[in-house]
Amino acid sequence: MMNEYLPVISSSINDTISSLAYFQSEVTLAVGFLLVILSDLFLSKRFSQLSFGLTIGIVLLVMVQSFTFLNVENTSLFGGMLIMNHLSILFKILFCLVSLLFVLFIRYNRSLLLHEKGTSDLYAILLAVHLGMNLMAMSANLLMVFMALEMVSLGSYLMVGYISGDQKQSEASMKYALFGAVCSAIMLYGISLLYGYTGSLYLNDPSFISGLNNIPPMALGLALTMVLIGVAFKLAVVPLHFWAPDVYEGAPTPVTAFLSTAPKIAGFALLIKFIVLIKALNHTFLDIKLIVASIAIASMVLGNFAAIWQNNTKRMLAYSSIGHTGFMFMALFVAPGQGYNALIFYMFIYVIMNMAAFLIVDEIEEQTGKQNLEDYRGLGRQFSVLMVCFVFVLVSLTGLPPTVGFTAKFLVFSTALDAYNSSGSLIILVMIILAAISTLVSLFYYFKIPLNAYLKESISSDVRISITAKAYLSMFLAFLLLLLLVFPSLIQQFL
Amino acid sequence: MLSLLIFLPLIAALLILVLPSRFQQHYKYITLGVSVIQFVLSLFIYFKFNSSTFAAGIDKESQYQLLEKLPWIRLNLGNIGKLEIDYFLGIDGLSMPFLILSALVTFVATLASWEIKTKLKAYFSLFLLLNTAVIGVFCALDFFLFYIFYELMLLPLYFLIGIWGGIRREYAAIKFFLYTLFGSVFMLLVIIGLYFSVINPATGNHTFNMILMMDPANYADGSIFSAIADKNLFGISARLLAFIVLFVAFAIKVPIVPLHTWLPDAHVEAPTPISIILAGLLLKVGGYGMIRVCYSIFPDSAMLSAWWIGLIGVISIIYGALNALAQTDLKRLIAYSSVSHMGFVLLGIASSTTEGVSGAMLQMISHGGLSAMLFFLVGMIYERVQDREIANFSGLAEIMPQFTAFVIVAFFASLGLPGFSAFMAEAFTLIGAFTSEQVNGLIPRWMSLVASIGILLSAAYFLWTLQRMFFGQPRLKGAADWFSKLSDVNAREKLALIPLVALALALGIFPSLLFDKMNASVLAFVQLISG
Repeated sequence: MMNEYLPVISSSINDTISSLAYFQSEVTLAVGFLLVILSDLFLSKRFSQLSFGLTIGIVLLVMVQSFTFLNVENTSLFGGMLIMNHLSILFKILFCLVSLLFVLFIRYNRSLLLHEKGTSDLYAILLAVHLGMNLMAMSANLLMVFMALEMVSLGSYLMVGYISGDQKQSEASMKYALFGAVCSAIMLYGISLLYGYTGSLYLNDPSFISGLNNIPPMALGLALTMVLIGVAFKLAVVPLHFWAPDVYEGAPTPVTAFLSTAPKIAGFALLIKFIVLIKALNHTFLDIKLIVASIAIASMVLGNFAAIWQNNTKRMLAYSSIGHTGFMFMALFVAPGQGYNALIFYMFIYVIMNMAAFLIVDEIEEQTGKQNLEDYRGLGRQFSVLMVCFVFVLVSLTGLPPTVGFTAKFLVFSTALDAYNSSGSLIILVMIILAAISTLVSLFYYFKIPLNAYLKESISSDVRISITAKAYLSMFLAFLLLLLLVFPSLIQQFL
Repeated sequence: MLSLLIFLPLIAALLILVLPSRFQQHYKYITLGVSVIQFVLSLFIYFKFNSSTFAAGIDKESQYQLLEKLPWIRLNLGNIGKLEIDYFLGIDGLSMPFLILSALVTFVATLASWEIKTKLKAYFSLFLLLNTAVIGVFCALDFFLFYIFYELMLLPLYFLIGIWGGIRREYAAIKFFLYTLFGSVFMLLVIIGLYFSVINPATGNHTFNMILMMDPANYADGSIFSAIADKNLFGISARLLAFIVLFVAFAIKVPIVPLHTWLPDAHVEAPTPISIILAGLLLKVGGYGMIRVCYSIFPDSAMLSAWWIGLIGVISIIYGALNALAQTDLKRLIAYSSVSHMGFVLLGIASSTTEGVSGAMLQMISHGGLSAMLFFLVGMIYERVQDREIANFSGLAEIMPQFTAFVIVAFFASLGLPGFSAFMAEAFTLIGAFTSEQVNGLIPRWMSLVASIGILLSAAYFLWTLQRMFFGQPRLKGAADWFSKLSDVNAREKLALIPLVALALALGIFPSLLFDKMNASVLAFVQLISG
């Protein structure tokens, strides 16, 4: 029995060893995860900020390590479980950016700092989630996909319920965990179906694709839909968005900021793989284009219109992030061939502006306790600089000059119109026009904030305002949004 | 040179932002200084301006003056090729006059800003930012850059109306913003469509260069806006649809009936200086955009739609004037008179004759000065007694004789008395519209006849207002209190009003001051659009 494996052992060991060289950043994350836990256990009394420093250092190291592989060719690792290429590296850099901002966000969030659990565990969870996302971006095997996705999900459940002080927060974490578990189960079932049909789990394996081509279309459609449900849950797109507003409102603000960026981006990394796979199939019945396009349209329209009626700022941002996901779906849908430049650029900008928006919302909440839009009355006078930054961030979220949000939106529209030009498909045109309309709608609700902050007089007495590190961070991000309009090449050179 | 003109206000705005608040009484002098420098620079440009036919501009890049061109964004978009966006500025005879107008109107608006008493730092930095955007729009020749400046105007205006405005300021500000954004979001789609259709023959890349977009030879085969391919969208020609979208975007700014409803609200709620900028400059951006963008890039569709555009112009003239007659608020009356007067611009452009286009250009410059003056005058009364209901005033001529003199000049100039700029402008526009039928057959004669009724109506509402408010027995709603408050024109106000009177008179008596400088460009423009 053992003997038949003997000849492959040496080659597979060699493969593993050579793969490790490409696997540096993930190893760093795994080691870092352990280090942070250990340091929290043994050294936290003496050095209170140790886990924070360690985490920052690790994330930065991972970023550097990812950058060294920036122009890597398509490389298959660990016997094809993972595939590393330029695109996955770009995603990894994006994750590092989000993690970095998230760590800083946690560090300066008072409700987390003052909580008896402390923040060290949160840093450890973050590193684990980060590892999961990196794997998501590289995975080329359905089992790997599921494992990575679960790693992210489990970490996210913990994050959402991290402090769960009141009922609302417990409800949010419960909802999230339950829906997440169900969606994962459905996905796993879909994966088992796919495996049953084809006998392979490797996404780019020729036998996998030919196997899929040979099964009845209904069965294939069912299995693929089940797998995609798992991804769509992470992305929070319509119709699997229902958990998002409650969870975003209930979770601690830094966690909301994180959840509405990083796992979404990781979900897109996965989705790209599936889209490539589906494009390789020769089925005609399954109009996947129509499905993706209708998801994009539904998310844009529902996200943006529902945001109008929100009163809680975090909830409004939650709906708007559904709208943004729809917009990114459109970018994905119209992306030409292998090029996702417009999408990646949009994601970079989305990370910056979304993080900045939540940072500012959190800062306002901590200093004044105000969570609702109508409470923002007269804040323009109290938080003069911060509110100006907020306006820039909101303008960028809307996608208007003079911020880079405009450039990002513009690039997506450009790709979309070009796709229409070369294909002439009506659905793209409809999508473009609806995207334009939802931009208009988004202005309406985003501008409720400056409307209240500047145009209405304050009702309450002035609260003493201090400028904290978080405020400086958000100012820096807002400044970045302006700077990148003039020098978009700062990001473009990497694409 | 143009960059200096554009970014000087921005630098001043940054200066104001970093200056501590204890200098806030000096902010207005900084702003005033900027506008004076701009005015001197633009006069310099005016006198140095080459008006020969070899410097006509329009569709020939080499003929533009004060060109500045730097590569800006170069993003590789995969299959589509490289994104080519330039920082590209230049002026010709159709944009140069607006530079002078911008500087002058900004100067007057700054003087009107003396009445602003709160949040000076924010006010003046937004004001200067707006100034940057407006001048940028008139200079930009790259469509992407044009759009950025175009959108940049919205933000400061939103806050300027929303924070320093009247009682219903929130409503007015968001209405204005949404209206304009509605037009410009779809304009963006057309811009991108144009980008993919047009190829820079020098580099082989797609381009945002507006001048290259004017030459049908630069359109790629089979591209969406190619005149030869003549593609359809939703059953109508793509070029016609694009023209309509762009036209609507600019028409909202002009504004035309029925897209004008934001204007009275915005004007009434805006503080005086912002009303001055709105009427004096922003409406002109709409007219300028039509000439520079809609007509120059889609002349074929423009010819097809000429009848409708002329009709819209005539309707705006009559409807605006009738509305003005019915107003009881002086500022609202003037806002509607703007709608009416801007209708002439549309009619002149629609006629596509040399006289008509020259008249439209002159009307824009003339109305820029006159509407600034009218709003300044209304602002003076409002500043003194916080009221501007026509019925609450009577016999002002005895209380404020100098003020009344200025009002009479402004009213008579606006209603088209010979000797003032508006007469020349409206006369040329009507001549253009009248001859159009035999020159190019675009506009029927009855339109110019109906439009001239608009002049009669404007005489009616201006003279009636004059009679109600300024003549007769002095009788004020606020009685003795108002008598003491209504002091006559002071030195600062004279400083603002006299240049405007001078402009109206100069252009009325020597319209060649303007015509000579832009004639070559107008001829080239008419040549371009009538193919």
